[in-house]
Amino acid sequence: MEVAYYPGCSLHQSSQFYDLQTKRIFSELGTKIVEINDWSCCGATSAGKFDDFLAVALPSRNLGIAENAGFTEMLIPCSGCYSSHLMAKTRLRSNETLRSDINAELAFPVKNTIKLLTILELLLEAAKQGKFESKITRQLKGLKPASYYGCMTRFAYDVPVSDNVENPQGMEKILDMLGAETMDWSYKTACCGASAAINDSETAMNLMGKIMKNAVHSGFNCIVTTCPMCQLNLDAYQNTYCNKFGIYERLPVYFITELIGVAMGIPLEELNAHRHFIDTLGLVKELNLI
Amino acid sequence: MTLSALSYNPQTAKSFIDEVIERSHQNLYACYQCRRCASGCTVGEETGITPDYLIRLVTLGDRDAAVDNALVWQCVSCYTCGTRCPNNIQSGRITETLKKMSREEDVIPLNPNIAYFHDAFVQGCTRWGRVNEMEFMGYYELKNIGKHMLSFQFRKAYEEIASQIKLGRSMFKQKRLHLKLHTSRGRKEVKQFYKIAVKKKASLKKERRSQIKNRQE
Ligand code: SF4
Ligand code: SF4
Repeated sequence: MEVAYYPGCSLHQSSQFYDLQTKRIFSELGTKIVEINDWSCCGATSAGKFDDFLAVALPSRNLGIAENAGFTEMLIPCSGCYSSHLMAKTRLRSNETLRSDINAELAFPVKNTIKLLTILELLLEAAKQGKFESKITRQLKGLKPASYYGCMTRFAYDVPVSDNVENPQGMEKILDMLGAETMDWSYKTACCGASAAINDSETAMNLMGKIMKNAVHSGFNCIVTTCPMCQLNLDAYQNTYCNKFGIYERLPVYFITELIGVAMGIPLEELNAHRHFIDTLGLVKELNLI
Repeated sequence: MTLSALSYNPQTAKSFIDEVIERSHQNLYACYQCRRCASGCTVGEETGITPDYLIRLVTLGDRDAAVDNALVWQCVSCYTCGTRCPNNIQSGRITETLKKMSREEDVIPLNPNIAYFHDAFVQGCTRWGRVNEMEFMGYYELKNIGKHMLSFQFRKAYEEIASQIKLGRSMFKQKRLHLKLHTSRGRKEVKQFYKIAVKKKASLKKERRSQIKNRQE
């Protein structure tokens, strides 16, 4: 069955390689994902701070496009985009007039029937169907990834979320399967500050400093995430917040798709994994994983 | 900052709390001040004021303090408070609502950068249907730097430009900045949504202004 795919603005710009990796990994796994036609920006967290109607209307347009193309499930890898679409669905369900007001402007009206999937849900589904087994060519021995979920995918709405909101395990399940040494830690759902890195940098650096400190103290040798915002923040500002907190270590911040790629034997260059700020190749080379 | 018990006015307090409840979709009456949200609040240490405190301000009807404090602006929308609240109160939605109210009341934002940022984002994404990181950052920086210039803080303006150029340069090096314009063909619909939102905001603002005027008279 085909699953609709909403990349969002980030995956078409600063995290373009995450889009490439997502497509590649799912094609290797034999899960067909199809980018929806002419999608638009979901408004991120900014729309909700501007106007309530706009915050629901923007994601609704995308839901409508996907539903009208006949999809019943939609993959949204970016945690920010996932959470705004989820919020819109919750609001639409409880307010019929809002839905008809929005539909009055839309070429593809929204019915609000589509189910949203995080990238972890779709990966776990593939794992359940045994799609990984024949593809994994090496075990990630020696890799100690800190599974960093960030804050945006664990909503306590009245919609059931796929994982535990305080101590999610999805990422660990996949990494265990790949032979990495996962461990518990305290900051897996802490917030990186997201846009505060730009508009309130003092606060954001403090938040990221705490995350990093805990990761280093727990003995991890890298961080893994599924969210492009978390990835960019923890990666691009790593020197800044580490210097501020007197942290000597630097940890590569991988997307989960990159580590799956390594386990599948796909050259990291093919996945554009060198587009990071903190080097990603050194560690995997050192551990003889590539 | 808080009202004394004697100046508490049940009527105005009720109308304020009801307004916040309606717009944020959160039942503030259910809060019993257990402060679980406070212990989890990501920015609590920075702001000194936590969600439970904010809810108390709203309950007491202290409108001025509720719309004008550090948490309203610095909340990073991580929704940890809501995840932890035994009564399912998502305070992240309350700060969003109060942010909008503060703009309607023409309160100068405590952290103007944050306000510029979200405005620039919304304008950028509704203009093209998609956010163009370069364009929107440029717009935001212009406003932000302009603010420093207007208040003669040239050093700050310089530092801002320097730090952004540094980040921009390394983003370019990593091929993480793109010059191509990203658009959505259906942006007419998106623009229409924006128009509706702006109209609604204008009428809310008008309503609020007349309320304030009535109160003063
Ligand atoms: S956790 Fe909920 S009930 Fe407790 S103080 Fe915070 S908002 Fe109130
Ligand atoms: S959503 Fe805002 S108020 Fe709630 S915990 Fe996060 S920063 Fe604090």
